[in-house]
Amino acid sequence: MTASDVQKLFMTEAEELLTEMEDALLSLEADSENIELINQLFRAMHTIKGAAGIFNYSAIVDFTHPIETSIDKVRKNELKIDCALIALLLKCKDHTWALVNAAVEDDEAALNTLSIQSQLILTELGRHENIESCFPQTIAAEPITPERIEGHYLDTGHWLISLDFRADTLRNGLDPLSFIRYLHQLGQVLEVICLSHKLPSFEACDFESCFLRYRIIFAGNCTKEQIESVFEFAQDDCDIQILPSQKISESFQALIEQLNPSENQRLGEILLSIGAITEKELAKSLHLQSDNADDSTTKKLGEVLIANQLVDKPVVEQALKKQTQAREQAQTIRVDSNRLGQLINLVGELVTASAAMKVMVDRYHFLDANDLVGCVEHLVQEIRENALQLRMVQIGETFSRFRRVVRDVSNELGKQIELTIQGGESELDKIVVEKINDPLTHLVRNALDHGIEQPQERINAGKSAVGHLMLNAFHDSGHIVIEVTDDGAGLNPERIRKKAELLGLVDVNQVLSHAEILRLAFEPGLSTKEKASNLSGRGVGMDVVKRNIEALRGSVELDSELGKGTKITITLPLTLAIIDGFMVGAANENYVIPLNMVEECVELNQGEWHEQQKNYISLRGELMPFIRLKSFFNIPNANQYNHRESLVVVRFGRTKAGIVVDKLFGEQQTVIKPLGKMFQHLKGLSGATILGTGDIALILDVQGLITEVSISAKKYHHVALIDE
Amino acid sequence: MNQLVNVGLTNSVGDITQYLTFQSANDTFAIGILDVKEIIEIEGITRVPMMPEFLCGIINLRGKVVPVIDLSKRLGRLSTVISKKSCIVLVEISHEDEQQTIGMLVDEVNEILEIDDEHTQPPPDFGADLRVDFIRAMGRVGEHFMILLDINYVLSVADISAISQLNFRTAEANDEVL
Repeated sequence: MTASDVQKLFMTEAEELLTEMEDALLSLEADSENIELINQLFRAMHTIKGAAGIFNYSAIVDFTHPIETSIDKVRKNELKIDCALIALLLKCKDHTWALVNAAVEDDEAALNTLSIQSQLILTELGRHENIESCFPQTIAAEPITPERIEGHYLDTGHWLISLDFRADTLRNGLDPLSFIRYLHQLGQVLEVICLSHKLPSFEACDFESCFLRYRIIFAGNCTKEQIESVFEFAQDDCDIQILPSQKISESFQALIEQLNPSENQRLGEILLSIGAITEKELAKSLHLQSDNADDSTTKKLGEVLIANQLVDKPVVEQALKKQTQAREQAQTIRVDSNRLGQLINLVGELVTASAAMKVMVDRYHFLDANDLVGCVEHLVQEIRENALQLRMVQIGETFSRFRRVVRDVSNELGKQIELTIQGGESELDKIVVEKINDPLTHLVRNALDHGIEQPQERINAGKSAVGHLMLNAFHDSGHIVIEVTDDGAGLNPERIRKKAELLGLVDVNQVLSHAEILRLAFEPGLSTKEKASNLSGRGVGMDVVKRNIEALRGSVELDSELGKGTKITITLPLTLAIIDGFMVGAANENYVIPLNMVEECVELNQGEWHEQQKNYISLRGELMPFIRLKSFFNIPNANQYNHRESLVVVRFGRTKAGIVVDKLFGEQQTVIKPLGKMFQHLKGLSGATILGTGDIALILDVQGLITEVSISAKKYHHVALIDE
Repeated sequence: MNQLVNVGLTNSVGDITQYLTFQSANDTFAIGILDVKEIIEIEGITRVPMMPEFLCGIINLRGKVVPVIDLSKRLGRLSTVISKKSCIVLVEISHEDEQQTIGMLVDEVNEILEIDDEHTQPPPDFGADLRVDFIRAMGRVGEHFMILLDINYVLSVADISAISQLNFRTAEANDEVL
């Protein structure tokens, strides 16, 4: 690893931490009591500071250190987190990122300017803290702890020991008092409360039985285990509980936090290792757990421990979290994306090679090798699927980045906007995710700026003052569909039309449907907002969005109703590398149709279509327009009449259409090879693939093909109208 | 860009540059030897529909998809008639910081010639029966002048993709008229 590699790693890590920090900050706006989020903030700053220290990036260290201190104050309840502080910390986060960039690039000049800004931000932070500390601390923020119940004796570092002696204690020759005396050797017994409510009436009393119940408040610098050992002899005759005070409980949590996670540590082991429970307690709880095992609802160890008051709930939660964290950490490996790309390329070669082998075996009739070929083919397919899966990432991360955008923009514009995210767990290729980010940002900004109106305007229009923006993602026939929906003003079709007429895109007399007018919004130069803002509205938006998405073999659709809102639907292929294909032949050329778009294949009844010279048939009563591939592609020497044509029914979203071909070859794994820049304007073909024979087949872009055909059909229609 | 080309053409001993000469459209042309990646036989060109006529199609070059251009047609002359001697000259050009391999279908490759840089002249303003920007220079071999092609223009990816777009639009327009 070279120095620059390490720096790169530092940058990636910093970016991740800062994103995490931003997420935490934004979540804190709604949930300011969440200590875990504050811990996250602290961790982010702390880790970046540490890493920057290693690289000797003093600018970063100097800046992050005071922030870390401030967050620590929040953690200790010395400073309250509020909107102002969150806004300030967001600023700190952005600034840290700028510092990281400048430091890694070793940009002296930038660092100098940034360090002045650092000072400004830190002064602001310092001022905020001072104002804040003038206010008295709110008491309600403190959780209810044992000290509250038992009075105010319990201070930090104290234990509450409850001893409930059983009736037979005295009969067994034990002296309860001796234990308390012995306890003195370990530390200081601050208070002994004797509970007398269980004492029977004088007449009913059995004087040989013991009814003593003590609550002892004990201060001593010792472990739970040591305290427990005091009562070792009494164990059979006494119910003992040793509860830590809040401070000790917190120290347990802190200990768990510091633990080095190892993958398979059990909850009990974790708690034991930090001394939150003793071995005996653990054994007892496990025993209890297995005793109840036949119940339909077996309790988890953590639940048992909490139910028996052996451990505080937060401690168990912390331990469980550490456990899952350890598992997650053990299950993820950072891999250079180039290496992954290489692997996928190799898998692509493997697919081609295996297809070539199959062709060979078939050609020379190696019957013995048939099974083997089948086996290899199956394995290759599995490898392929797994390899592609490696590059799949959830879209949720991309979506949640917009929380910040929405927050900033709505503040800037004085709008109230709520962002809803759905389907964040939908997966797609990392490359697609990266490339979709820009267009998506554009759409979101558009929706925020143009779509959603000012609160007053919304109320006047009879809508709630808070605007809603929704990002949604789901899978559909081998594609991922991303929807950006807002409940804002919607697009004004008349204005779009007028603008389009001005630009000469449409004729004044031309009759256009609602959908067609909306589609015009994707034409270059159309931005309906009269006033361009610094967010959007320069008219370079939508056509660029459309172009970017189409470059990914995707499509974008727009639906809008004036006054009700706008919905933009983006459809993208899940992966750009390898697909399952369905190979067909037209005249002497081979084409591959993505298998997940193929609905069915039907043999064409030639009598039906050939006489009519029309490009539609009735498929079981359903009207099915079709494209005859060999005429659409002008395949030379394709005029000979074919008696056995087939109709491949393809579906894209709600659109169904037929493709008429001469031959059906069947399924095959298809490695998509891009055709290159030279073919970038080619519609209807999305790439090429190399067949087992070494020949090339072109891959049909079904959606592009259908769109292209329907557009030219409409033009034809308009021409016909004008001619009349 | 220009600098790049210069480096490509003169990167040889002294002031002498080596050129590959070949026949196309009944003419002899030459390109700098350093631009040539390899020369291959014609085998299975897959036609790509809806592309301009000079784009013959694509070939499988050891697992890579490479476009092949009919040089004669590209220079505005008749289509190349494929014979035993025809072959594909593979060249590498850079487009938007990416190296792209493109095949040139020619009638026949001749030989490798050395031309002294002093014997090259800028192209004439007219008379070459060729777009001037296609010509890098005229090279004198004995008493004859030979056209040294500027492949960065002849095989310009941007240019060809623009033509194909135009081509596509025209095809649509034709459909409409029909």
